Amino acid sequence: MTNLASAATTEAQADRAKEQAKARRSMVILYVVLTLLLLIYSLPTIGVLLTSLKTNAEISREGVWNLPDSLSLDNYRAALQDGNAGPYLINSLKVTIPACVLSIVFGVLSGYTLAKLPFRGSDILFIFLVAGLFFPPQIVMIPLFRMFNSAGLYDTLWPMIIVHAGFGIPICTLVLKNFFATIPTAIREAAIIDGANEIQVLLRVMLPLSLPSLAVLATLQFTWIWNDFLWPVIFTRSDEVRTIMFGLASLRGQYSVAYGTQAAMAILASIPTLLIFIFFQKYFIRGLTLGSVKG
Amino acid sequence: MASVTYRNVTKRWGDVEAVKDLNIEIPDGEFLVFVGPSGCGKSTSLRMLAGLEEITEGEILIGDRVVNNVAPKDRDIAMVFQSYALYPHMTVYDNMAFGLRLRHTPKQVIDERVRQTAASLGIEQLLDRRPRQLSGGQRQRVAVGRAIVREPAVFLLDEPLSNLDAKLRVEARTFISKLHQRLGTTFIYVTHDQVEAMTMGERIAVLNAGRLMQIDTPTALYDHPDNVFVAGFIGSPSMNFFDNSELVERNGKMVVDTGYFQVEVPADRQQAYRPHLGKRVVFGIRPENIAHPDYPAPGIVPSLIEANIDVVEEMGHEKIVYLEEGGKTFLARMDPRADVHVGQRTGALLNMAVMHLFDAETEQALK
Repeated sequence: MTNLASAATTEAQADRAKEQAKARRSMVILYVVLTLLLLIYSLPTIGVLLTSLKTNAEISREGVWNLPDSLSLDNYRAALQDGNAGPYLINSLKVTIPACVLSIVFGVLSGYTLAKLPFRGSDILFIFLVAGLFFPPQIVMIPLFRMFNSAGLYDTLWPMIIVHAGFGIPICTLVLKNFFATIPTAIREAAIIDGANEIQVLLRVMLPLSLPSLAVLATLQFTWIWNDFLWPVIFTRSDEVRTIMFGLASLRGQYSVAYGTQAAMAILASIPTLLIFIFFQKYFIRGLTLGSVKG
Repeated sequence: MASVTYRNVTKRWGDVEAVKDLNIEIPDGEFLVFVGPSGCGKSTSLRMLAGLEEITEGEILIGDRVVNNVAPKDRDIAMVFQSYALYPHMTVYDNMAFGLRLRHTPKQVIDERVRQTAASLGIEQLLDRRPRQLSGGQRQRVAVGRAIVREPAVFLLDEPLSNLDAKLRVEARTFISKLHQRLGTTFIYVTHDQVEAMTMGERIAVLNAGRLMQIDTPTALYDHPDNVFVAGFIGSPSMNFFDNSELVERNGKMVVDTGYFQVEVPADRQQAYRPHLGKRVVFGIRPENIAHPDYPAPGIVPSLIEANIDVVEEMGHEKIVYLEEGGKTFLARMDPRADVHVGQRTGALLNMAVMHLFDAETEQALK
């Protein structure tokens, strides 16, 4: 009897050990796959980072993938001084931040109105707004160029700010309307009865609740606008109003073999988006999984 | 503290009339319950009073002020929502203080009132928590706390117990009743649950399809329903109705012929029913007024019938017996000692002292 019982226990233990081994094996496979993916995704960045730390001579002698003999920050110095990266970065910030803020502010206002204060025709207005998402920028390129030119805004940062803010409104409205719709209407009504007006409801109740969505939008908008190349090419001519992406591309012409400087500038150009992502990361992950888990 | 008056209030959504010509006067300090099936207009009536829905016609008064065009925040009301609608990002303290802060109440006063209210509701240890860290019952108390901390003149509750489990609901019922006694404020309470209505309301307004069917005290509604709807809605299990009955005179006695059995009308009712002799009527009798012949309640005016036993539900303190006669099923709540078995033929005593008769066409009670 005792033997039988112990045999059963051993068998159960063996089963459990087998299961654990299986689980461990699949974890190993998962980690190998993830590591490989990470390598594939980060290779270009690693290449650029390595290049940015080498002298031009080293690059032509040993190629991209060898580790640099000595860490040289000369390329960064060159990018900032000769390549003008500093002013370009500032221009990019001058375009990205206001455009980002404007598109999100309009998105909040229209999203809240459409989700919580519907009126006759608001559904059609929503479709009309969201249709903006499917507008290829190339179609409006020439009219916009002519419009800004005649308004005397050509070769300033204004067209980029206005166009990005405008093109950002559909996605911001879509995301925020859908988010506000998930907040129970009773919460708005409770605040109204508590004595809040519509703006107070929005600022003190709805916005604090929508931080994850706002973080997602801020990250996406910032990245899109920051990385934009098309509009600066169309709306600017002089070096003083060049954004970093345009500046990066135009380096090629001036320093045709200056891979090191280009790489350094590319790294510099990617820092703000990286910072934004790190800053909003916590919310970003939460925002992406919004609504997937109840409670 | 204030009275509330609905004066010819109508609410229309396009062609749909959600509330039709509602007239109610609620004196200061009363606990009034709006009850009815879903879609009867009870929540709409409450929301019009709160200012969350516009009034299509008529007027609503709080005290002697018409509030049709007064913003919700200026109506001196507070409301507890079915979902509680607590602000998820705020602590319990902030949830309760929110309304006072919006009214620019001095910080010290806010602190005092929030802590006092929290203590009176037994939630002072929860003040630093957020709603998601609370149980259903705690959330419900916080929602009540958020409403009473402002010391409103009228207190509105929209199905505040329907998200609680059965046990908590019973506790919360007494809690709210006691709260009303303590505050002495006008309470207007919406529910679809007639048990809640009966146990809590000083008066109950029964609504159906946007119309006020009857408004009265719980006992009056139970004993003297004005119409078939109220008779069927109040009481559980609900009243048995025999639709195709006839009020006739046989052998010098006034009887109700239900088509399944005949029962004699008690002498004290005959005078009142005489004008309806020969008419088609609806005969109603509550299950608790049908007893087993071996266990008649004292003081009843019995009328004996016979029926087959279809189903017996043992409740412990009583037996709910489904009786069947000629294809018509009706319920009786019998003494637990009654010897009843499925398939048996049994006698049943109807207490005719509490019979109900309604006009078959208008469905109004014959009085």
